[in-house]
Amino acid sequence: MFATSSSATLVGAVPRRVKVEAHVTNAKDRFSIVGLPDTAIREARDRVKAAMLSSSFGFPRRALTVNLAPADLPKAGSAFDLSIALGVLAATGVIPRQAADVVAVGELALDGSVRPARGVVAGAVVAAEAGLPCLVPEGSLATAAVVPDADLRPVTSLSDAVAAALGTVESPRTGSGLPPPLEPFPDMEDVRSQPLARRAVEVAAAGGHHLLLIGPPGTGKSMLARRLPGLLPPLSRRHLLEALCVWEAADRTWAFGEAAPFRSPHHSASRAALLGGGSGVAVPGEVSLAHRGVLFLDELGEFPGGVLDGLRQPLEDGVVEIARRGFSVRYPSRCQVVAATNPCPCGHRGDDLVGCRCSQAAIDRYRQRLSGPLLDRFDLRVWVGRPGRMDGPRGESSNAIAGRVARATDRQEARGVRNVELTSAQLDEMAVSTAAHALLVAGCDSGSLNGRGYDRVRRVARTIADLADRNEVDENDVAEALAFREAW
Amino acid sequence: MTALLDLALQNLNPERVRRLLAEGSWPVAASSNCRWPLPGVEFSTAAGIPEHLAALPDAPPWIFVRGTLPGQPGVGIVGSRRATAYGRDLAERLGHTLGRAGYPVVSGLARGIDASAHRGCVAAGGPTVAVLGSGIDVIYPRTNQALAERILKGGGAIISEFGPGAAPEPWRFPQRNRIISGLSGVVIVVEAAARSGALITANLAVAHGRDVVAVPGDLTRTTSEGCNRLIRDGAQVLVDVDEAPELVEMLMGPPPARPSPDPPLPFSGLPATLEQLMERSGQSLAEVMIAVTAAVSAGRVVLEEGTVRSA
Repeated sequence: MFATSSSATLVGAVPRRVKVEAHVTNAKDRFSIVGLPDTAIREARDRVKAAMLSSSFGFPRRALTVNLAPADLPKAGSAFDLSIALGVLAATGVIPRQAADVVAVGELALDGSVRPARGVVAGAVVAAEAGLPCLVPEGSLATAAVVPDADLRPVTSLSDAVAAALGTVESPRTGSGLPPPLEPFPDMEDVRSQPLARRAVEVAAAGGHHLLLIGPPGTGKSMLARRLPGLLPPLSRRHLLEALCVWEAADRTWAFGEAAPFRSPHHSASRAALLGGGSGVAVPGEVSLAHRGVLFLDELGEFPGGVLDGLRQPLEDGVVEIARRGFSVRYPSRCQVVAATNPCPCGHRGDDLVGCRCSQAAIDRYRQRLSGPLLDRFDLRVWVGRPGRMDGPRGESSNAIAGRVARATDRQEARGVRNVELTSAQLDEMAVSTAAHALLVAGCDSGSLNGRGYDRVRRVARTIADLADRNEVDENDVAEALAFREAW
Repeated sequence: MTALLDLALQNLNPERVRRLLAEGSWPVAASSNCRWPLPGVEFSTAAGIPEHLAALPDAPPWIFVRGTLPGQPGVGIVGSRRATAYGRDLAERLGHTLGRAGYPVVSGLARGIDASAHRGCVAAGGPTVAVLGSGIDVIYPRTNQALAERILKGGGAIISEFGPGAAPEPWRFPQRNRIISGLSGVVIVVEAAARSGALITANLAVAHGRDVVAVPGDLTRTTSEGCNRLIRDGAQVLVDVDEAPELVEMLMGPPPARPSPDPPLPFSGLPATLEQLMERSGQSLAEVMIAVTAAVSAGRVVLEEGTVRSA
């Protein structure tokens, strides 16, 4: 007797359907699982058996073989329990074979109840693509509900799952959406004064530009960076799904609701932690966890040079590829980088309060560590000086700024490309007023703008024009963009 | 004259030069590998040396000059090479203010205070004199090469008593300090630690009968200890950069000639951050940047590290 059920796994961050084939013969009592299972899956035998007995389905004293197809794809985790149980039940004739033809994700407890397990997003995606119902643990319903067009059936126990598979209970598709973020992003109104830096954060949010904040300690660089995600529009379904898949692959609990994620790795983080890696199947690194969100690198100069160099490719291609023996995985890494750094080793260059005592040679060395290709990615560089006064009026609120940012983002969406991704050729076709062009040329002639610098200014100017809801880039946009070019 | 040039090109120690000059004869070196003549460089002896410098007991027997050396004494601005941002800003503003008032600024084209002072004066369109502690064709540190060009373009001069090719050896700097003092009517020490070369210049200035002005610093700043000690020893105190021209005029008389000023920049009080300019003028970032960009492309200011400085 033979039956199949389905589950899902992630290959990199891409959901892939896994067929669970169950086969029963009248040989002696035996239960084996094949198809490159890891230890957790192998142990599913005991959980499935106990759960079936506890749910009064009984367990066949025959030879059972479960194959997870495709058989050459390594699989891991406890989420296959439910589909294995359904496959076995169908193969032994306890339930009709068609009833097992669902996508089921969930870990079984020995008493027959279903626990949340990682894999629900993958399962829901696969189910939606195959047009099958998807059984998910009730506790994971909100997460799975992000997937559009998925026929979700929340279950709490194996008996429940059987009933749901048989279609005997009408289960509501309750997609109340993700729970709101665990901690709301802090508000821009806390940032008093600092008009230049505030504006830079706004422009970064609007155009997706990488942002470099340079300044003495205690001037609010981190404060500004942490407020950037709060200005970004909520993620689209598609982007949210991509991000959730990465987080599922990393076995992390998503806590950002529908907002863009924010990651802030410490500068002691290893290459593997930042870019992805680890033993066995490589897990996504911070650059991937920040996919569609913000990666904040505080004290950029303190990150080891090799790690920073490793960031260049992911930022350029939007994807990290990690090779392992036999196969390699790819994780998306389209994130926006906000970096903060001191201007010099002592940190007080340009600080009115404390004088800088670094020699020019020490400053040059410090900057060389950050020089070159990585620095080139930062369209926006802004010096964050000591605020003039601490008791100034509160700044404009994140809400007000987010309104402008959303409009600017919509304009870019209508054009089909985010400003941060504009190429030289696309920039050449950009509508620029005569005065603005003259100002661009003046900026170039003063010798401080090379080819890349020229493109950076134009990209930023485009975003500033978008913020002002203008089709043509005018003189003011270019002038403002010039303030953020800061050769470093 | 030709004989003196021959001696000058040998780049001997001034002490030895003095002895040879006293004896009245010296070996004529085979000067085949000597970079002379150099385009744009003039060799000046007795008559060509400004009176206020030539009158000193330790006056150099000759000087090499690039550019135009002002005929009247200027204001020496000296200080630490390892200057703090505070010191550099002050030096630049002083150079700017005095340059605009018509006083040539004399300094040593070293890092730190020297470079800032020259820079300020050039930005104000004033002539400034850089006295090198190396050969006339050796700009040290090399990072000041661009500044040297600007000094010449701005109608100033670069001078040295050392011939072409002389390396910036440590002993040459105290030597050249006497020329800085000699070319100045007043010497202002902006920032100097307890044992700074700038204090040598200050002592020489006293010996030359020049007035010394010191910029006071925090007692806790070791970087200003030398200045504060000068004040204790009777130096004049500068309490406000804008008062500097008045103070200098009281000490050494009116400036030689009022230069024709550039049209004033649309902003003052440089160096200043963009945010300070916005706050002062009440203008938007875009408006400030339009003005700044114009001034940058005219070569009058630079925008570095979020700060607008005189070029």
